[in-house]
Amino acid sequence: MATVWRSQCAFTRFFIGKIAQIPNNSSDLGTKLSLGPLSVPWVSRNYSNYAHSPFVSKVKEQYEFDVVKNPPEWAYVERLLPFDTIPAVSPKEKYPSGWIPPREEARNLPFFVSRTKNHELPIYLNVTFRGMRKITQIRKIDGDIWLLNDEIKAYLKEAAKRYVETRVHELGKFIEVKGDYVNVLRDWAYIKGF
Amino acid sequence: MGSRQITEKSLSMIRSLPRISLGNIRDNPGSKITQKRGRGQHRGDKHGAGNKGSGQRQNYMRLGYETGNNPFYLRVPSEPYYRGHHHRRQYPPLSLLELQSLIDKDRLDVTKPIDIASIIKSGLYNMFPDQKQFGIHLTDEGLDIFAAKINIEVQWASEQVIAAIEKNGGVITTAYYDPHSLFLLKNPKKFFETGQAIPRRMIPPPDVIEYYTNPKTRGYLADPEKISHERLRLAQKYGYELPELENDVSYNMLIERKDPRQIFFGLEPGWVINLKDKCILKPRDEELLRFYSS
Repeated sequence: MATVWRSQCAFTRFFIGKIAQIPNNSSDLGTKLSLGPLSVPWVSRNYSNYAHSPFVSKVKEQYEFDVVKNPPEWAYVERLLPFDTIPAVSPKEKYPSGWIPPREEARNLPFFVSRTKNHELPIYLNVTFRGMRKITQIRKIDGDIWLLNDEIKAYLKEAAKRYVETRVHELGKFIEVKGDYVNVLRDWAYIKGF
Repeated sequence: MGSRQITEKSLSMIRSLPRISLGNIRDNPGSKITQKRGRGQHRGDKHGAGNKGSGQRQNYMRLGYETGNNPFYLRVPSEPYYRGHHHRRQYPPLSLLELQSLIDKDRLDVTKPIDIASIIKSGLYNMFPDQKQFGIHLTDEGLDIFAAKINIEVQWASEQVIAAIEKNGGVITTAYYDPHSLFLLKNPKKFFETGQAIPRRMIPPPDVIEYYTNPKTRGYLADPEKISHERLRLAQKYGYELPELENDVSYNMLIERKDPRQIFFGLEPGWVINLKDKCILKPRDEELLRFYSS
């Protein structure tokens, strides 16, 4: 047995014992009102305010409930609860969405770009001056950032067929590339295995 | 040139010119201020408000009147098809490509039926029921790459999307949720912690009843017989072979559906979930059972 006090019936205690006198009683249909023992004897019958209305000292248990311990439906509840951590990606044969997991051999390179917590590549496009300046940023770079800079410069020169300006922030561990080269750099990172 | 020369020259000039009279006299240049060119139709006047005082200060113009300009509220032609746009239901999009990437990154479990609760649980999609958003519109981006066998329940889907999911052996249902139910689906844990009984799902409003009872849109109120007929018809229209559900290994998962009054999979309205003690409170009272079964 359990007590379920429905929040919709916050004013129920004021109506106890008066239910017959309240016209158009719009309180919830699923609520039972019972005349419990009142702490103060009935004295006043002034319905214009609640000042003289007696308070309810003891609320009777309203509904009968079965309490089921370790129910078989608990699996459905656990399915709804949020993840404790972001789940690790299990290896699959193919990834139709185009997402590629990082490869182990990338660890042997003199530089490394680690994935974000959501298993995505940390390559972003920063658009400023109302779309006039587009800068591609590669973040989370470890190791020889200058060597990585030389490599992507050469790669972009080949891909874009022109010289591409870059800027290295050694302390911030990121490289900024002038222009929108997100897709090109993402392809490059997937080839490298990051 | 000295001053004496100027005097001489001026005098000789005066001698040769006609006599000064009212006919040829005029003001020195720059000594008189000419009227400024006021802007606007009425040369920058007082906009019909009179000069100073109560006329300008107490007599406020009607709302929207811009002192003779073409008022802002009339500048744009009327577009009546936008009437009441801020009251309409919105279905924020989720593309098949995004759905596939959620599956690829193990944010969605394809061995279980997928609904809004599991998509929001993935953490890469969010929805705001208080901003008149009524659920997910599954869009056709990434239609060709989609390759997952799922049992999904969304709120809106086009014909191509339905075809893309059924081609892979999956099942799609379109179902309506009222905003209150969507709040529960958005954060079930928060709701369970309040200790309230799971409410009933409301029936759809009149203007979408047709959509959700239509077997072509795989409505949740449609006749299952007609839905299976429409599945076959769509397969023939788009030219793919419909995978048979009956012989499928995950048949039990694929046929799992919610009751039209049910909000969560497997949990009935009226139940109270106790997360702390890991128990479920099921009502036994006749009155409650009647209320929740309706």
